Amino acid sequence: MTRAIVGAVTVLIAALAYAPSVDAYLKLGTRIGTRIANLRFNTFPVRYFVTNRDVPGVTAPQLQQSVDRAFASWSAIPNTGVSAQFAGFTGTSPLNGDNANVIGFTTRADLDRVLGSTSFTVDTVSGEILEADIFLNSTFQWSAAAGGEPGRHDVESIALHEIGHLLGLGHSMLGETELAGGGRRVLGAEAVMFPIAFTAGTINRSPRADDIAGLSDIYGNDQFRKATGSISGRVTKNGAGVAGAHVVAFNPATGKLVATFTLSEDGAFVIAGLEPGLHLLRVEPLDDADAASFLETSFAVDTNFKVAFHNRILTVPRGATARDVNVAVVAK
Amino acid sequence: MRRFLGLVCVLSVQVALHATVIVPIEFRELVIAAPVILHGQVAEVKGGWSDGRRSVETFVTVAVAEYLKGDLGPTVTIRVPGGQLGRYRTIFVGAPEFQKGDEVILFLNHANVAYPYIFGLSQGAFRVLADSRSGQRMVTTPIVMGKGGDVPERIVRGDVTRKPLPIDGFRDAVRQVLAPRGEQ
Repeated sequence: MTRAIVGAVTVLIAALAYAPSVDAYLKLGTRIGTRIANLRFNTFPVRYFVTNRDVPGVTAPQLQQSVDRAFASWSAIPNTGVSAQFAGFTGTSPLNGDNANVIGFTTRADLDRVLGSTSFTVDTVSGEILEADIFLNSTFQWSAAAGGEPGRHDVESIALHEIGHLLGLGHSMLGETELAGGGRRVLGAEAVMFPIAFTAGTINRSPRADDIAGLSDIYGNDQFRKATGSISGRVTKNGAGVAGAHVVAFNPATGKLVATFTLSEDGAFVIAGLEPGLHLLRVEPLDDADAASFLETSFAVDTNFKVAFHNRILTVPRGATARDVNVAVVAK
Repeated sequence: MRRFLGLVCVLSVQVALHATVIVPIEFRELVIAAPVILHGQVAEVKGGWSDGRRSVETFVTVAVAEYLKGDLGPTVTIRVPGGQLGRYRTIFVGAPEFQKGDEVILFLNHANVAYPYIFGLSQGAFRVLADSRSGQRMVTTPIVMGKGGDVPERIVRGDVTRKPLPIDGFRDAVRQVLAPRGEQ
């Protein structure tokens, strides 16, 4: 196949995929010309290589097994078609520009507070993703033990988070932290896509409702869309839209939380992939984290408002959207 | 022919985002740990191939207005993972992006590297923007700083005391942390 034909296929798929896209949840994207392109796979299985490098606490085969289980956790989400295939061990490193999807440990002095990260190399003319890598920082202490190990970060938990990014998911803000002992630590999270690392030794290996809704929003088929519902509306302050507000839907019957952000300056939001039934809606500012970890900084994120709730309990319909759910917030 | 032709982008109207797993830094810890804290304006943003690698990085030159800690001269060029060179773009999720003219406060480290880098990736980058109503220059990311005692303090989202600070207030917060204990 020539590059020209590949380009044509890309455009065709893009055109087909544009119409049913639901503008919800946080997805990774990049600018292609004047548009934003989602970063996502259109064919499965995802083929990936694992670095042939041991680090203290984790051998290369253990890393591969951990990565395989993490992919399996995402693949288990129904109605998405996500799958992955181990392509072999490699002597190359992630972040190396070799046109292969590489997952592995490497050392970077300039990433001193980063446990792991996902990177994409994109041809900005064709929109083609040339590779997607996952970097795990070998300067930290790691473990592949089934039950985790005190003082060591669980490689499967971090791989699960990073593979979420590789599949196109952005960050979730469904987590709580506290300041203790001169530092900050996570008290709990309702999403594996929460970006702040748990204390070393903690295991977090299962996608939650928020992660499932997010992946399903990207890859879900008609069956998924018919079985779930959405909430859409606006967050306003003094009559104007609020950008970057965190909007959380809580299902009191199941205890599940699914969230999104207002993704434009008009304050509009959509939370998709919700189980039909009653939900409460809470709006809160992104005032305890770096907004750049969540949102593109091309619009001004408003963090100066008080927490607010929608004034009634919402009924999410099956296969449809509860619309015009508007929440007015006030400045702190 | 590229080996991974199955990977394609789908055009849509979503927002570009960032992503990574970070070890969090409390503000007091950030001030103490970063050897350099500067306030300035981005003068140049340039993509380049990384040393010994084939991915793109960004070299950001900042014209320094003032140093709150340390001193690296009137201009500083830092290296940030990811960037664009020609038609190729490396997206290193979690790395901050800058444009010429951005006003920033940066917490930098420069140990054992050719170029200084932002401490804690995006955690050490604070944007300064003019308030739309008052015109006052504000540091847009509220700082997360505890009282410094032994009692754990839960961080409550929406806390009315945590909001964007005027740049003078941010400067005072940094100086308060750096001041000898008796002066606080």
